[in-house]
Order: sequence, then C-alpha cells, then structure tokens
Amino acid sequence: MKTKTLVLFAVLLAGLVLAAPQAVSQKSSDPQFKVKLDFNRWHDTEELYADFRRLAAAFPKFVKIGSIGKSADGRDIMLVTVNNPDTGSELSKAAMAIEANVHGNEIQGGEICLYTVWYLMENYGRLAPITRLVDERVFYLIPTINPDGRQYFMEVAGGNARSGHVPFDNDNDGLFDEDLPNDLNGNGVIEQIRKYVPGKGNYRISLADPRIMEPVPYGEKGDYLLLGQEGIDDDGDGQVNEDDLGGYDPNRNYPSDWQPNYIQSGAMDYPMQLPETRGEVEFFASHPNIAGFQSYHNNGGMILRGPGSEATGEYPATDVTAYDELGKNGERILPFYEYMVIWSGLYTVHGGGIDFTNDGLGILSFSNELWNGEQYFTSPELKTQQQDPASPIAPSRSRYFFDDKLEFGDQFMEWTPFKHPTYGDVELGGSWKKTTSRVPPRFMLEELCHRNMAFTLYQADELPQVKMDEVEAQPLGGGVHRVFVEVSNPKVTPTILEKAGRNNTVRPDILTLEGKSVEVIAASWIADRESFKVNPTVTTLIDQKNLKRILLRNGTPGKTTRTIMYLVKGAGPVTVKYDSVKGGVVSKTVDLR
Amino acid sequence: MKGPLRVLVPALLILIAAGTAGAQEFTKYHTYAETTAIVQGLAKSAPGLVKLTSLGKTLEKRDLWVLEIASPAGVPPAERPALLVAANFAGDSVFGSELALAVADYLVKNASKPEVKACLDNAVVYIVPRMNPDGAEAMWASLKWDRRTNGTPVDDDNDGRTDEDGPEDLNGDGLITVMRVVEPGGTYLVDPEDARLLKKADPKLGEKGVYALYMEGRDNDGDGFINEDPPGGVNLNRNFMHEYPYFKAEAGRFMASESETRMLLAWLVQHRNVAAVLAFGENDNLIASGRTSSGRRLDLLAAAEASIEGAGKTGIFPALGGMRGMRIRGGGGMEMSITPEILTMLMGSGGGQFMMGPAPGGAGPQGQAATQTTGRRNMPSRTAPTSPLAPDAEYFRLVGSRYAEMTGIRQAPLTIKPEGAFFQYGYYQFGVPSFSTPGWGLPETPRASGQGMMMAGGPGGGGQMPPAQAGGRSATAFQGGRAGLAGTAGFDAAGDAPQAVDKAILQWMDKEKIDGFVAWAKVKHPDLGEVEVGGFKPYAATNPPAAMIAEAGKAHAAFALYLASLFPKVRIESFDATGHGGGIFRIKAVVANHGFWPTSTAQGLQAQAVKPTLVQLQVAADTILSGSPKTSLIRQALNGSGGRAEFEWLIKAKAGDRITLKIASQKGGGETRAVVLK
Repeated sequence: MKTKTLVLFAVLLAGLVLAAPQAVSQKSSDPQFKVKLDFNRWHDTEELYADFRRLAAAFPKFVKIGSIGKSADGRDIMLVTVNNPDTGSELSKAAMAIEANVHGNEIQGGEICLYTVWYLMENYGRLAPITRLVDERVFYLIPTINPDGRQYFMEVAGGNARSGHVPFDNDNDGLFDEDLPNDLNGNGVIEQIRKYVPGKGNYRISLADPRIMEPVPYGEKGDYLLLGQEGIDDDGDGQVNEDDLGGYDPNRNYPSDWQPNYIQSGAMDYPMQLPETRGEVEFFASHPNIAGFQSYHNNGGMILRGPGSEATGEYPATDVTAYDELGKNGERILPFYEYMVIWSGLYTVHGGGIDFTNDGLGILSFSNELWNGEQYFTSPELKTQQQDPASPIAPSRSRYFFDDKLEFGDQFMEWTPFKHPTYGDVELGGSWKKTTSRVPPRFMLEELCHRNMAFTLYQADELPQVKMDEVEAQPLGGGVHRVFVEVSNPKVTPTILEKAGRNNTVRPDILTLEGKSVEVIAASWIADRESFKVNPTVTTLIDQKNLKRILLRNGTPGKTTRTIMYLVKGAGPVTVKYDSVKGGVVSKTVDLR
Repeated sequence: MKGPLRVLVPALLILIAAGTAGAQEFTKYHTYAETTAIVQGLAKSAPGLVKLTSLGKTLEKRDLWVLEIASPAGVPPAERPALLVAANFAGDSVFGSELALAVADYLVKNASKPEVKACLDNAVVYIVPRMNPDGAEAMWASLKWDRRTNGTPVDDDNDGRTDEDGPEDLNGDGLITVMRVVEPGGTYLVDPEDARLLKKADPKLGEKGVYALYMEGRDNDGDGFINEDPPGGVNLNRNFMHEYPYFKAEAGRFMASESETRMLLAWLVQHRNVAAVLAFGENDNLIASGRTSSGRRLDLLAAAEASIEGAGKTGIFPALGGMRGMRIRGGGGMEMSITPEILTMLMGSGGGQFMMGPAPGGAGPQGQAATQTTGRRNMPSRTAPTSPLAPDAEYFRLVGSRYAEMTGIRQAPLTIKPEGAFFQYGYYQFGVPSFSTPGWGLPETPRASGQGMMMAGGPGGGGQMPPAQAGGRSATAFQGGRAGLAGTAGFDAAGDAPQAVDKAILQWMDKEKIDGFVAWAKVKHPDLGEVEVGGFKPYAATNPPAAMIAEAGKAHAAFALYLASLFPKVRIESFDATGHGGGIFRIKAVVANHGFWPTSTAQGLQAQAVKPTLVQLQVAADTILSGSPKTSLIRQALNGSGGRAEFEWLIKAKAGDRITLKIASQKGGGETRAVVLK
C-alpha cells in the first residue's frame, strides 16, 4: 500500500514537471525560447532554409514552407507563410510581403526574415501587439529571392554574386560564363594578385599602414604590379576573368517601367525573363491581399520608396501622405537610416521590384538599404575624432582600426605567396572578406535584424483595415428611409492606393446593400452623420447605375472615414457590406420598419 | 536505273499533286486545326528541309507552331542569318496567318528554284503563322465579333467581375455590329454623303445629333455600359515592351504578361541568328515606305466603342483636397434621374445646397513636402528612341519602296497604333530590320497612283518571281488579287478626316462586291426599345476575301526572299602568313561583309542587341608577340557591299603549323579558315 502511494506521488511529480517545466526547472524571469537560432553568423542558402524548416516544425499551426518556383540553378525559392488559420483564410486578411537578397551579395535581409518569423512565433501569446499582428495579418516571406547568388556568395567570396545564375555572355564571344574568377589558393576568398618587381612597379606599400597598396606618384618608382582579381584565363582567349557567372541585375527585370539593357543596364532581354522574377511576379499577382511590401537590400542606411525614375512622375498626394508617415517613423525606428525616393535620393532604377509592386499591383512598398558605415563609430565624440586626419580612426584608416581592435583581424586577407600558371611567382591577398563593409560585423547583426523587423512590423500594422459603425436608418415616411453608413480605415495605408485606383490595378472596393424588397433611390456622400443632422448638406451624389453595388475605385484613404447616405424604399432587414481586397470585409444589418 | 527512278517518278507525281492541292488551299481562311494540318503536312512533305516545332501551348492548349525552313547541308541553320515571319498577334488578323502559310508553302514547293535554293542554302526562314490561335478561332464561332484578344480572362472594366458583359446578337444574323439609338443626347447623324455611315454632328454648322452609338448587345451587368467586358483579354500586339501602353485596353495587366508573348521572346533569345523580322498584321511600315503608320481605325466602330470609355473610371472619389458638388455623368449615356422630391429627401427638410467642401470624414494628414534628397548625383534618365535612327531609316525606305513595287500595294487598309507591337520590339530592342504589313491594300487615291509603277495583277499575273538578289529590277505588281482595283476613288493616305477610312472601305467593298456591311434595320432591344442595328461585318474590313490569299501569298513569298537576300554575309576575304625567320610569322587577315545590310542596324549597335563581329586567332594567347589580340571584336557595324576590317598578328610558331582563324557575325554568318605556315 505504501509503495503504491509512493509510486502515485512520483507519477504526479513527474506529471507536474512535464506540465510546467519552467515553473520547476527555470529560475530566470526572462523568456525561454523554443527554437535556438544564430544571429551572430551568416547563413548560406541551405542553412537558412534549414532554420526555416525548424521554425515550421516548432510552430506548425502558423508557419508553412512553400516555394514560388525554381531558381536558374534549380534551387527552390522558399516561401514562408505566417498565418493564424483560426482568424481566417490567408486571402481574407491583408498581407505583408517581405523579400530579401535579390542581389546575391546583399545577404542580411535573409537573416532579418529568419529573425522576423522567429520573433513573431516566440512572442505570440506573450506580447499583445505581436499576438494581434499574427492574428490580424498574413506574412509572406521570401528569405532569398536569389538563392543561387546567395549560395555563390557564401561559398566563393567575391565574384559576381550580385547577379543570378541565368547564363550571360559578358564578353560577346558566344560562350556563357566560361571564365570566372578562380580561388587559386582555395582559401575561400577571391583576392588581388600582386607581383614583386623591385623598382619597376606602379604600386608601393603605404607608409601609413603596410596593408594599404598605393599607386606611386609621377616620377617615382614602386616595387609592385597589381594584376587584378585572382584567376586564370579559363577559356584561353587571352583575357582573365572576363565572363563571370550571370552578369545582369535581377532587380531590373520587373515589368513596370522596364527598359532595355542600353537604357537600364542589367535589365536582360525582356521582363520576367529570369525564373526568380517570374515566380515572384506570378505569386504576387495571384495574391491580391498583399497590401505592403518590403524588399531588403544593402547598403547605405536608406528607407527607399519609388518611383525609381523621374519620368514615372511623383505619386499622387494621398499616396505620398501615407508613405511619408511610415517613412518618417521608420527613420525614428532605424537610426542612421534616411527615408528617400529612389531616383532623387539614390539613383535611377528602371524595372525595379518595388516600382512593379507599387505601380503594377498597388502595393505600398519600401526597400531598405541595410547597414550604414556610420554605424562603426557611432558616438558624436568619435565622429568628431574622425575628422582629424591623424586619428587612428580617420576615414582612410578606420576599417583597419576596427578590424584590429574589434574583429581581431578576421576581415583582412594578408598577402601570401603563390605560383600563378602564367604570372609566375606572385602574392595573393590584400582584400577584405565579403563579411565586411556591406554587411555589419557579426556581433551587430542581431540589432540590425530587430530594428528592421520592427519597421516592417510597424508597416504591417498600418496596412488597411476597414471598420463599419452601426448602420442607422431614419424613416422619412412613405416607406422611404435614409440609411447612414460610416466606413473607416483607421490605418495609415489606403485600402487602394490612389495611383492604383486611377490605373485600375486593384479591384475596387465594393459597397453593397442587400434587402429582400428594397430599392435604392439614391446614394450620396455626406461630410459626416452628426453634421448632416444639424446642417443637411450633400457633398456628392454617387452617379453609378447600380446603387446596390457601388464601386469605389480608389477605396478608402488612410485614417479616413467615408460616410454614405442611402435613400432606400422598402422594409425589412437591410445588410450593408464593404468589401475590400486589401482592407478586409465588414458588414452591418439594419431593420427598416 | 530501275530502282530509284521507279520510286522517284511516283514520288514526283505525288509532290505535284500535293502542290496543286496546296495551291487550292489558299483560297480560304483556315481554322487552327486546318492550320495545324497544313504545317504538319509541309513538315512531312520535306523532312530534310522543314522542321516543325512549337513555342509552347496557349491557355486553351493550342500550339504556337514554328516552321524552320532551311537546306540541311552546309552551315548549321542556327549559325545562318534568319528571317522570322510571324503573324496573327491580334486575333482578328487572320489574313496574315494565311500569308505566312502561303510563304511557307511557296518556299517548300519551290525549294529547287535557284532564288529559293540560294535563300535556303545561305539562310533560314522561321515561320510562326498563328501567334494568337485562341483569339483567331473566334472567326469560326457561330456568333462573330472582331475579337483581337487571346484567351486570358481579364476584368476589362475592373468591377470585380470578369468577362461578364459580352455582346448579344439582337438581329439574329450571327454577327455583332453596331446599334444606333435615337437619344436626346445623341451626337451622330446620318452622313449625307453615304447613308450607311454616320457623322458626328457639328454644332458650328448648326447640326444637331440624333443617334447615340453602341456595340450590338445588352448591358448584362447593369452598370450602364454595353459590352464593356467581353470574353478574353489581351491583344498580343499590345503586350510587347516598346512603347507599351500601360493600363490601356487589351494591353494586358503588365508588359509581357501573356505566356504567348514570353514564349516568343524566349525563343528569340535562343535564336539570335534572326536577322530580320516580317510581321503580318495590323501595323504598317512597309506600304508607307518605311514610315510607321500611327493607326487608322474604322470611325463607326471607334464611335461605338467610345460608349464604354467611362466604364473603368466610375467610382473615383476625391479623398484629399475637397470633393466637388458636381455630378459627373456616368457615361454610357445613362444618366440617373434625380427628381426634386428625391433631392429634398436627400437634403433633409430644410433643403440645402450642393457643397463645395472637404472630403467626407476630413482629410488625412496633410501631404508634407515629400522626402529629402541626399544630394547624391542623380543618373540622368535616358529614353529609348521612337523613330528609326537615321542610317536605318534609309534602309527602311529602300525596303518599303521595293515592297510597293513587288506587291503593288500602295494604300494601307486599317491599322492600329503600334504601342507594344511585336515588330517594334524587333527593331528597337532586338535590333534587327523589322517590318510589318497588313499584306493587302486598298485602292489608292488617283493622286498617289502616279508615284510608282503600277500594273494590275490579273488572275495568275502576280505569280512571276522577282529575282531574290538585291538590286533586281523586275517589279511584279500585285494589287489586291483582282484586276481593276487601282484608280478607284480613295482617300488621302496622310489624311485622318473622319469617315475617310470608312468610306474608302465601303467603296472598296462595293467595287469588289464584298458583302461586308449589314444594312441598318430596326430591332426591338429588350432594354432600350426600338434601335437600329447595322455596320461593318466583323472580320470583313480587316481581312480581305479569301480569293486574294493565293496571289498575295506569292507576292509576299517573293518579298520574303528579297529580305533574305539582303542579309549581311561576313566572310574571310583573305588570310595569309609570311615567315620572318627565327620562328616569327606575320599573319594578315581581311574580314569583309559581302551582303547588303550592315552587320548590325545602328539601333542594334546602340541597344547592344547585336553582338560585335568576333575575330579570333586560334593559337595560344602567349604565342602572340605583337599586333592584334587573340580575340578581337569589331564593335562598329561592317557595312554591306564590301565593308572591310583588317587584322595583323606577329606570332611565334614553326613552319608546318596550321593556324586557324575563326570569325562569327551574329547576323551575317561566319567562317573558319586555316593557313599552313611555310
């Protein structure tokens, strides 16, 4: 009997431990995370995909892994969807689409995507705003839209990883990608080649720092020749490294303001020629619930919006208002980042991704240029010091200082001897690794991920969301009622961008009135219900043939309430519904007596 | 003696018989199934000469056929300059399909004629006879309307319903024409010069309109517009990238949105040897001698279609900066009737006035001055040219005048503005001489007839083949396939006076006894009451009688051969070596273009669409001691008629070595030649 009790007690205890492991085994008040991920190292395509699969396995209800197609090299272009099925289907909720790494070397957006899904899931149910976002919105993430370029960048430092891997004949010899740079000494970095020619060279070692090679001044002699990037003449045409992988710009291949190669270099022969671009365009075009878009690039610290080219013309004022509010708050969330327009702030881009999503699909879109060199030495004091040319952190020497004192020499490749097949005895080195300058130092990656995620979640929260107040019916006698309907969009983003409304790129919002035996005699906009009751004034009669199904081509702008007044003849229940593809569907019923 | 001849003779007989049957085929318009049978028959009849492939399948699972016609011997076809003949981008341009088939048929059946053989030995002809089979098939539907679009469902008026308001045949003739309706706001009246046509009332002449014009049909979705969202969606000739008509009718959701468009583009990228394009369809830059027609449509149809212009515009409500208290007419001539009582009820008992005021619910945050700029240097934005570059324009004029001589066509029929047209891609982006023609003509004006040589090509009279070589002098006139077309009253080619095209088409139909116009007749419209239905029959004004096909086909086969004879022809003119002793040799080469066209158009060079000519000495790079590099690229075009480039190398080698030179011009072929060192 006693044994039995003991066993029972043990079982109970074990049950307790299993049921509430934190209560028993953890003393820390800080949250324990379910999935442990690295945000202090860079992931190649496979590692990145593996981590997303771990998140999907840990949070199977919310996180789904899909694919929007295959890359040129046959890799899946992973699509990660975050959706709470209990709060509605994907298409019934406004979606935030997030893409990263369209340029293969601009990798850190992939880590932001990973961080975003991880953060949303680990904090769902713990932080109310995160819970609400996951419940109200859908997230579509393409952590690398250029998986080939990312993998190439992570495997072979240097080279033309910006491009994708559709073959391109850079040197016009009829052969494709036949003379790439070669990692001759197999150390994972495409370095520079220098040859020691005492007294006969055009370069010398700088007195300021032995790592710096400088051209010799006129009339003096140097000891070194610089012979370009590490490589050999693979195709025997007499030139070295002249036909690297790919050789185009995947972010110039979208079908809005696409211009041929000679107007927009890197555009390829026609829009959507690249399988990655086509896959993404088809996915976006078939998901009209996408209302916001972020495309992570690097670098420079910018929150960019379109248009990419001056000739496209500035966006309509309503759209600019929404962009400005989001962008200005973005500058507050992201120190050292500046909100600007692509063509005027950066440079002209034709056929860019966010021009297509804004102009072609009516999606409010930003592109963050991640990481700004100002973030190495951030305090005002250090900034002042940097203006002194003698300072060890003066601009010409600051990266060497940073590499010595903060990264312990991790980033600079020292010169090492090598026997080149055609150049003879040379040295390879003098290069910075790919993990410097355009990406943050590893120890600063997590902050970059968090702040950029925070901006994108802010945008996701400000996607359109329509609300409808109680519908009020006011009898006028003779079986006629005035029916007042207030539709509002309390968010910053319009349900339909003004530009999209003018160009018919988004299905109009549709306001329907249904009732068994009612007839709509007229419908009009009024300023608002209460003013109307005091001073009955109509602003505009709605001049559409079918007043039971009113089209609003430009939807409801951000932070706006539209009030409509119907004149309805008949009796019985009347249901008014506002249906917006990006702002959701709301309806109310009122009884006419 | 026995075997081969016995086999050969019956085979020849069969060929001849097939030839005769083939000739008869070009007296009718062919469905997709018949077109498929024809191209398959051609491929089967000459397996060595003809290769049949498909660009892929359309939405409705029809193949986009490509015929490759080339002599099998010699340089592989992919390395020879090629002519691409393509037709039927707009679904209702079916005549072009027939011309393309006729060109293919002619080349295959006359492959042994010297001028055809010369073409097929040195070049390749690719023929895509039907780019828009899903749209073209509507020509054989029981209910006919001028359908230009492919099968992609498009919500034309963007009202959340797709393809919900197509036409209805109210008078039961199986044709969709035009409705004229007596309406208070009507702006058209019967044209006093031709009672079949209508003209817009001119208030300056004291004219008052009587009729409103609509397409034949009903307002199926009750939005106030008739036939504003018929089945189908995209005219492929408005889906290419040059001067793409963003957000305009029948242009597609975005450029290259259609799989047909992208399949052809993908194919072209794989066929960089295409050195000239000949498109048959609704655009013209040949009849007008190299000038690109800006478009000339039937006014009657344009006026009826204008009734749906407002369909995609209703429902734009001011959001910021004030709504105006004015009613915008809903379009479609369907104004709402608002009675004074309704107004009173709307305004409330106190009455009221339409207000000029802010948007309902107030404005959002005021639009601040947009974003700052950083002062980075902006790249100046370049724009693409929209007319041929001067050196190319001269070649275009020349080809245009030869076209007029060879076909006798002087007056283009209906055309549409080339926005997003395929042939424009051919020149402006693909960089090759690119032409388009409807392939038939209207009688020219008497004034214009004096400009060129004109001979009426009677039945069989247009069949003479002009020499395929450039500069041939023989001009065979082809004029509409029937005698007597020339000289009838027409209209000024440059003039765009209203009704000018309509009248010219009617006069041509009358003269040719073409039953192409439905006389106006009263019909009871289910919604509008009594209306009159009439107007041009679908396809009748865009496709001439099938009897014209055979002869026009021959003339265009001749023209295709002429185009193929103009290709650049880049060859090694000389390649010699001299020894200097001590194992040093001087190698000299001259590369010349013996064709007519330069190795690239000026636009092809500017657009970097045509590769520079490659000249490569096949020796180890480090054996070249001086002179040209191992690999040279001739970046400027080599002109035709003997344009030359010279190269010289000093190499280290030994007597008896065989040194090879390789040249390759993307549009002008190439050659490899060796010299043995002495």
